[in-house]
This record gives sequence, C-alpha cells and structure tokens, in this order.
Amino acid sequence: MTKKISFTFNGQEFTCESGQSIAAALIASDHRELRTTRFGNEPRSIFCGIGVCFDCVVVIDGVANQRSCLIEVKPGMKVESAS
Amino acid sequence: MIIVIGAGPAGLAAAEAASRNGTEVALIDSASRKGGQYWRHKTSVKGYKSDRADSLFNKIEIAPSITHIPEATVWSIEKEGELFRINYLQGGEESSLTAEKLILATGAYDRSLPFPGWDKPGSMTPGAAQSLLKGHGVLAGKRVIVSGTGPFLLPVATGLAESGAEIVGLFDAHNPLRWLMSPQALLLNPGKFGELIYYAKLLRKYKIVPHAKRALSSFEDGVATVSRVDSRFSLKSEGAQKFQVDVVAAGWGFLPDLSLGGLVGCKQRVDSDGTTIFAVDGDQRSSLENIWIAGEATGIGGADLSLLEGEIAGLSASGQHIKKSLRGNRFRKKIFADALKRTYPVRDGWRSWPQELTTICRCEEVKLGEIRDSVSELGAEDSRTAKLFTRAGMGLCQGRVCSRNVSELVAGFTHCTVSDSERIASSNRPIASPISLGLLGDGKK
Repeated sequence: MTKKISFTFNGQEFTCESGQSIAAALIASDHRELRTTRFGNEPRSIFCGIGVCFDCVVVIDGVANQRSCLIEVKPGMKVESAS
Repeated sequence: MIIVIGAGPAGLAAAEAASRNGTEVALIDSASRKGGQYWRHKTSVKGYKSDRADSLFNKIEIAPSITHIPEATVWSIEKEGELFRINYLQGGEESSLTAEKLILATGAYDRSLPFPGWDKPGSMTPGAAQSLLKGHGVLAGKRVIVSGTGPFLLPVATGLAESGAEIVGLFDAHNPLRWLMSPQALLLNPGKFGELIYYAKLLRKYKIVPHAKRALSSFEDGVATVSRVDSRFSLKSEGAQKFQVDVVAAGWGFLPDLSLGGLVGCKQRVDSDGTTIFAVDGDQRSSLENIWIAGEATGIGGADLSLLEGEIAGLSASGQHIKKSLRGNRFRKKIFADALKRTYPVRDGWRSWPQELTTICRCEEVKLGEIRDSVSELGAEDSRTAKLFTRAGMGLCQGRVCSRNVSELVAGFTHCTVSDSERIASSNRPIASPISLGLLGDGKK
C-alpha cells in the first residue's frame, strides 16, 4: 500500500501517492494547468515529461524554475505557479 | 576509474561490461532510479516487460566495483591534466568527481514539431505520456490521440489503452509500406517480427486502428484536428477530421542529448536523417582521448543498439577484449536503425503547419510571424541571426525543443538548405543544465 501525502498548489490542498512528481500528482487530480507564460499569459502544462523542455516549471517552497515533472512531492510542500 | 554518465540502457551496459575485470565505475544519473527513459521501475503498470532490464540491474547491484550516484545533474566537465573533473548538482548541493576515463551515455528525447495549439495544456510528447504512466502511474488523459511518426507510437498508444485510456486515434504521417524499401533490415533482425505481432495483437485487443498519412494539424479547446498529409508532409485541404480529446501526444522521432560531449569538444557529425550526433570509432571512442560515447548520442537506434554500443564502450574503456560477435550484432542493429531513419524521415512540409501566431519557441514565446519578420524585415540570413533578433532558442531549455525547427524554418524563408555546420552549431549550448549565477561563480575554484 502506497503512502498518501499532501501538499498545496497555489494555496489549494492536494493529496497524492508518495513517489509521484508534482506534475503527475496534479494531473492525477484533474489539474492540468501549471503556470501561465510571462508575456502572453498563456496556460502551460507538462510537455516533454522528462526535464528537457522546462515548460512545467513552478515555484517550490519559494525556489523558482523548478521542473515539476522531475521533482517528487514531499509532505507539506508549498508549490506555486510562477507569476 | 571510469565515470559513466547516464544510467539508461547504454550506460548500464557500459558500467556492467567495464566492471567485469574489476574496474572501478561511478555511474551517475539525474534520476533517482536506474533505467533511463526506456526502463522505468514502476512495475504495477500492466504490459511492462522488464526481464532484460532486471538481469542487467541485478548484475550492477552485485558488482562491488560499481557506485551508483543518483539524482545528480552534471552541468560541466573540465580537463585537469590527465583527469576529467565532473561537476554536478545533487539535491541543490554542488559536488565533483574525477576519473581518467569517461563514457557518455546521455540518451535522447522526443522531437516535437510546432502546429497551432501544440503549446496548450493537454498537448505533450508521447514520451511525456509514457513517463507519466510508467514512472508515476498516472494516465495523461482519458481520451487521447497519439500522432507523429515511427514505431515508438505503438508502445505509447497500447500502453495507455492497457491502463484504461481511450485511444481516439493513432496517426502516422508515413505509410508503413515504406518498410518494403529495407527488406534486408527486417531479414537481419527477425526478432522485430515478434515485436510487430505483439503490438498488432494489442492494437486488435483495444480496437485501435492505426491510420497512415495523417498528422495532427491543430488542437484548440479540447478539439483536435487531424489532416491528411502528402509524402512531403504538406497538409491536404480535404479529408480533415475533428475529435474531442483531452490529450494529444505527438512525436517526430528523437533528438540526442549532446550537451556534455559538446562542452568538452567531442567531434560531431550530421547523421543521414539530419540529426547532429557524435563521431565515434568502432570501439565507441570519441575524437578525444579517454572519452567513449554510446547510445542515442552516436545515432538514434533504440535500446537494442544502445545496449551493444554500451557494452563495447565499457569493454574498450576497461581494456578488455571485444568479441567479434558483439560487433556483428551491433552491425545488424545499425542496419535496422538506418532503415528506421529511411522509413520515417521528417519531411519539410511540416513548415506549412504553424500559422502566423503559432508559438515556435515555447520558452520565449516566439511566434512564427516574428521569425519570418526577422528574415524578411530585419535581414537575418541564418538561424543564428534570427535567434538573436527574436530570442528563439534562448530560454530555459536552451533551444533543445526549438533550435532544429528554427534552423529549418529560417532555411525555408531564405530558400536555403540547412548546412551541416549550422546543424552542428545549433545543437550545442554553453552549459549543460541551467544553474544559478552564484554557483557558476563559485564553481570555478
């Protein structure tokens, strides 16, 4: 039985299985949009899924430009879309 | 000691082979688990065949001379006298490691082509859908279209279907009858017939009918348009179909990761399919002494070829004998890899898919119109100048996704073909992985 853990994304609480990446956990909860772009304010989500394209970057516990497709959710993690 | 960078099929095979005579090996990889993009550990996903991987993993587990360094992103390599110094980040901490010899096995990633809507949430590479499923046990979407070209679309579509997705369509821009051009490749690799039958059964089981000569031409508000394409990949005006989906996964072959070998100056060349790769000799030696390169970065060819190249590189680097049969097997797999490139080439007609306001560089949000204007209004004559004018390829991914496409678009606007030197120049970047300026300042101790 995998352990359930919880984290927040833009203030909203999500739960996921331990070992899942942030992007995977959010998609599993039907939340696809991860950020909006700097210039066009367009929504973006996971694209390459393996850390190459940097389209899924989020702010994790205050640190910007973190790839949500690579980084595993840790209990209590505070994830935010870059503004 | 030998440092092997990359723990996919090529790197694992290289480490295992080198360890056979007791050579010390450090196997360094950015992921927490061994296996690379091809072998992922999540065993709860149905249809995941891993016998070969398990045997290699076990050998590496029990080899006393192999040290696995996980979650380590290598960002530079320096030469220090006779030694190579590898600088890497592990959990935000900077570390380094030195060795006399290096084996680079850095793998590849999906090639993407731009079309209206390819930057919308829900549009992703087949590799992303695969990694969500195999790596994290998450289905990318409920109703999915898989599109692009090449045999990799089959495991992606059938894997998603096995886990409960509805595959609304499987579309390849090429006709599989193109394989008839390469009968020798199939006859020399009879095992491929077994794989084909395996996937044909799965397609039938999940009622997926693959369609040829079609490509995804737009994705807006959950509606995907799939158009017929001619042999040059130009869209035909008649026969387009629309589908309600939540995910489109489009992939156009693979691009190798050249970052690290490029940093140290290993000689590159352009492969028959226009892909920049490293030049290596029969023992997988690069142009630089004491650096070997194996796997996709020496030519896209799949896991079977990567395993053999890795084994040969590992044996050569550790001074062991390389059996003729090993070279023979590599030769057969290379013939198959060449046939793959001949059967599924990416044709120039894709350049007519993006429209004026279609994003070309995802990071810097550069649109097609801006790239065209940099040529027609600002006088850019090559992709380097066009990139300087528009910032295409200068974002966080450093052009990994768009560089090749920008080169080919600019060549189209200037009525040129992309030269080999431009293909090589646009494939290289100054730093292998984004790092902070503070770290860069500290790093040069």
